Amino acid sequence: MTGCKDYHMTRRRMLQGAGITGAATFLGMPVRSLVANPSVAPRAEQVILFWNGGGMSHIDTWDPKPGRPTAGEFSPIKTSVDGIEISEIFPKVAKQMHHASLIRSIAGTNGDHGRATYELQSSFQQTSNTTIHPGIGSVVVSQRNAQSDLPAFVSIGGRAPRAGYLGQSCEAYYIGRPGERDPYLAFPEGINQVQGNKRLDILAKMNLRSSQKFGAQEMKAAETALNDAIDLMRSPQLSVFDLEKESPQTLARYGETDFGRAALLARKLVETGVRFVQVNRGGFDNHEEIFPAMRTHGEVMDPALASLIEDLAASGKLDTTLVVMLSEFGRTPRVNQNAGRDHYAKVFSMFMAGGGVKGGNVVGSSDMDGMLPEDRPVHVPDIHASILHAMGIDYAKPLTTPDGRPMTLVRKGSNPIGELFA
Amino acid sequence: MKAKVRWGFTPLTNVFSERFGFIQLQNPMDRIARLLFAAFTVALFPLDLASAASGPDFEKEVKPILESACLRCHGTGKEKGGLQLHSREAMMKGGDTDTAVVEGDPEHSLLIERIVLPISDDEVMPQETDEVLPQEQIDVLKRWVAAGAPWPEGIRLKAAKQKLTKNELVFPDQAPKNLHEVAQTIDRVLEHENERRGALKGEQIDDMAFLRRATVDLVGIIPTIDDIREYQSWPAAERREKQIDKLLNDERFADRWMVFYSDMLRVRSNARGGRELQAWIHQCVSENVAWDKMAYELISASGRTTQNPAVGFLLGDGADPMNMAAATSQIFLGVRLACAQCHDHPFDDWNQMEFYEMASFFGKSVQRDVRIRDRLLYTKVDEEETQRVQWPPEREQPSSREPVKPRFPFELVSYQTPPHFINRFNAIRQAEAEIEAKKDEGDALDTLLDLDTTSKGIGGFDVLSEAKKASEDLNVYKDLHKESDLRQEVARMVTSPRNTYFSRSFVNRIWAELNGQGFVEPLDNFSEFQALKHPQTIEYISREFIASGFDLKTLIKMIMLTETYSRGHLGPEATPAMIEIASKNFTASPVRRMIGESIYDSVVQAGHVAERKWRQGENVRLVTTQIRIPISGETSEDPLEVAANDSASMGMTANMMNNMQSAGAGYDLESGIEIDFKKVLSDAAKTESELDSMKAQADAMLAEQERMRMMAEQNRRRPQRYQLKTIQEEKDDNPSFSSTMRMASPAPADHFVRVFGQPSRAALGEFREQNASLRQQLMMLNGKATHEAARVGTLEPLHNMVTGPNANIDAAINHVYLECLTREPTAEEFADAKAIVGNAGEEAVSGMSDLRWALLNCHEFRFLP
Repeated sequence: MTGCKDYHMTRRRMLQGAGITGAATFLGMPVRSLVANPSVAPRAEQVILFWNGGGMSHIDTWDPKPGRPTAGEFSPIKTSVDGIEISEIFPKVAKQMHHASLIRSIAGTNGDHGRATYELQSSFQQTSNTTIHPGIGSVVVSQRNAQSDLPAFVSIGGRAPRAGYLGQSCEAYYIGRPGERDPYLAFPEGINQVQGNKRLDILAKMNLRSSQKFGAQEMKAAETALNDAIDLMRSPQLSVFDLEKESPQTLARYGETDFGRAALLARKLVETGVRFVQVNRGGFDNHEEIFPAMRTHGEVMDPALASLIEDLAASGKLDTTLVVMLSEFGRTPRVNQNAGRDHYAKVFSMFMAGGGVKGGNVVGSSDMDGMLPEDRPVHVPDIHASILHAMGIDYAKPLTTPDGRPMTLVRKGSNPIGELFA
Repeated sequence: MKAKVRWGFTPLTNVFSERFGFIQLQNPMDRIARLLFAAFTVALFPLDLASAASGPDFEKEVKPILESACLRCHGTGKEKGGLQLHSREAMMKGGDTDTAVVEGDPEHSLLIERIVLPISDDEVMPQETDEVLPQEQIDVLKRWVAAGAPWPEGIRLKAAKQKLTKNELVFPDQAPKNLHEVAQTIDRVLEHENERRGALKGEQIDDMAFLRRATVDLVGIIPTIDDIREYQSWPAAERREKQIDKLLNDERFADRWMVFYSDMLRVRSNARGGRELQAWIHQCVSENVAWDKMAYELISASGRTTQNPAVGFLLGDGADPMNMAAATSQIFLGVRLACAQCHDHPFDDWNQMEFYEMASFFGKSVQRDVRIRDRLLYTKVDEEETQRVQWPPEREQPSSREPVKPRFPFELVSYQTPPHFINRFNAIRQAEAEIEAKKDEGDALDTLLDLDTTSKGIGGFDVLSEAKKASEDLNVYKDLHKESDLRQEVARMVTSPRNTYFSRSFVNRIWAELNGQGFVEPLDNFSEFQALKHPQTIEYISREFIASGFDLKTLIKMIMLTETYSRGHLGPEATPAMIEIASKNFTASPVRRMIGESIYDSVVQAGHVAERKWRQGENVRLVTTQIRIPISGETSEDPLEVAANDSASMGMTANMMNNMQSAGAGYDLESGIEIDFKKVLSDAAKTESELDSMKAQADAMLAEQERMRMMAEQNRRRPQRYQLKTIQEEKDDNPSFSSTMRMASPAPADHFVRVFGQPSRAALGEFREQNASLRQQLMMLNGKATHEAARVGTLEPLHNMVTGPNANIDAAINHVYLECLTREPTAEEFADAKAIVGNAGEEAVSGMSDLRWALLNCHEFRFLP
């Protein structure tokens, strides 16, 4: 069952398209069962992905190196879990550490923003321009249906990656600024409900005439889309987009920033049943003056992320909501002459919580200076395999792209990271 | 499980049909129905299969089928599913799933099982085609397997190339008298090739429908009332052709077809040289530059973006030789050579070496960014001595690599005596050369007589030549670039009239643009192993296109004069399968949605919101907006929006992401700023002269600028804490809207035109999506453009028809139907409209806006008649 809204598919696409039909047997490949950690039944129903664009420093966040020449300006602080320390810029997140896992040994392969972003968001290397691989959000919603009137995949602040061969229908529904009204979800100003509904009735009658004249699928598809649009406009669930009704205390706890509002909105969206929410934020490409920049990032991110985890845990929703924070690479352990750090992919870190992921857990480690993975190097596509595994999706599922190319949901040879799951 | 059931009856199908004289239609739905019917009859007609004893002749009957249908994927070097069929030994080894052939037992031979599946089955063979094998061929293979699959010693099979034209030409091999004759021949050849396909024909559309279809196709917008009146004033017998001519000469033709070229060439305004490239394409279309000449420039251009805008094509791929080999073959020749970049082509016989040989034509060309400190002065394409394309491929990690010698993998046809269309082509080019030579003489003379005559004012190629001159002056002492002999060589071969791929590929795209479906789909996937359904039709059109000197307008006109172009849709009684067959064979028009740009521009035109339709002060009202009130006096922006330029949409340059962000939220997603293309080219020229002063700027000044930039950057990173407040302010709300055809493109990712299918132009083989979507409907239902377009403005003609002393509701209804749908309402619609609009006066002003809103939103508005 797919969460992608598709209203018109050509015959051929219905046969092999959109990765929905498994061509497993035709390709002579057995469908692999979920073997990563058989003792754990997947239990995530939703994902919130925070995408930190630009390459977030690992040493200044999740993987501090106190006392080493690469340590930088920040000191580590204790967390709610004995033996796990993170950067001082995240004091509130530190108190939620018992809900979270850190991976400190991602072994990246790309130091270029574009290529690394492509890989970290899709699991695939950007090899040529013949096939565009979908981002992980599109992959998830192509396999799990929408659970509410709202779109299955919502992206806040900046674009989610493209849906590639999965097609436009699997792309994210985009919200520019969280909390601000999307004018397209209601009749325009000056048109009241009575007049608006009158117009819809006139339109329905006109369209009926056209449909009776032609048997075209294209018109039927437009009709279905129209009805879905009207249903959405009339859905009581739309009120989740409105943050003005949130108490000032709640807004303050999340930080009263765009990012804070995005985190709050993400929480409300998953509570309503949206499958995948991606929150995009940039500003991590700190080639110069990285420390004041990271301090600011901490001020913005810390209250938002911590409150989100806290609230999801309090309502019991964290158990079925996988929260992931990811960036395309880390930054050089050595601080450069401009007091910045440059691109660094050889080892970096990420944050995960909920959705069956173990709390108070660290997977892998980097060496003493944060230069290379030391224990349990994690390959990039394993991250995506883990997300799909948590969602109960067959991450190795083979399929055929609309142009006939054999494909898998995540890059071949990847496996869920067993140590993440309790 | 399904297979078992299937197995019980398949062999009987033939027997049944033979006995009862069934005609086998190659129609998937029929085939499914037939199989079901056969399954039903199994019980009634139990027959034994012993009659299948004597097998068919291998060489004459079996071999051709295997070679044309199977070997492409199961031949030497290819083994899809582990199966090879080039020799009996290989065949008997079977594939990954099972043995392929059980001697004497078709029922248990996978080879047979797969070919008898219905087309809707994922496992049906052959793949990569949308038709099952003809029944006769299935029968031959069954009888052959039943007879023990005999295979004479020593015969090895090879995938058969489908000759593009197998049979004798069914069209005259001589120059036609005029385009009407060409159009008639196209119809006749198509009809001939469609014989026995059982495709239903659509009626010819009426004159008004033709007007709308042609206008949207050629200039990307629906006709105005004036257009309609003029068209109707022409004699019925001439009006369609007159209209075509009028549209071909309309200024907006260049806007619409620039969009076509921009999609095809993946023009991105924000890529290096993208802006100039877009403007250059616009200029080429305006001046009707032949396609082969445009293509030649795109492939071979060198130098700066500002002096030679065509280099933008190479720069779009960073002048990467691999990307250029892929793009050149796919865009200009309609062949997906890119599949051979990493491995031999899975379906075609392009091998990896051929890809590398093609790439090496581009292997010496490089992109150079010329900077002073961090500041980009300009970008150019230059030629180096070293060949970057080397063999073996890097990914094999060879111990040493050798430069690859360029070789063109596509065949150029050699003619012993040049055929008429090549002669005609040569004649055109010769005539052009003579005119050009005369002009050059004249220019040289002018220059001698009066130096002032070289500055001939703004516009056209003059700007370009001035720019070139200015840059040549600079080049003398600064910045020479080398022309690329290699790319000129490959450009000559790509664009040669003897290269059938070049003409066919373009014809296929234009045909699809006008008829909603190409001869080959996807449009850039010609293959010698895939038989064309209409080989003679495409061949004929291609020859005439070559003969025209690769002239876009002639090509368009010959297609639009055909009866095929004017066919209507099938009615509601047609099943989806019938509609599909008719569309693929061009006997009825598929329902085509206008492209996003056309929908938007048409809404703007029909609602008169490009011009002022309100007097000043008439729309003063309380406008509700949300504003941000900063907390603790901080004034800067939050990184969530400003810094998202590195939050990277995939495969985009940082520049592009910046642009995408600028769309933000709210109604911005409908805004469009027209680009003045002539200004882009003249600005480019200006930049040249500014280079000097830029270079002269002291390093210290640049350093200071850099420091300021960094400080600004740091400031932007301060978080902004704010509260959202809804406020109302009084405002004269008179938005105006302009054409989206001339916008920087692609538009920001959630812009109206993107939501309606404008491609991101990031990858090859990316076409406009035709899908309907929820977001499209929301943007039409509640968008600012449709809302403002629907309102009846006091300054538009409609206003006086619905209110005031001269009000005439009947005329108003006819008027608005003509403006929106290019036709008058039917009696039934008219009665409905009367009730909606109501009585003249304020009631009708409001009622008319409801009617117009619905007309702009209805299916008929966005789907072509």
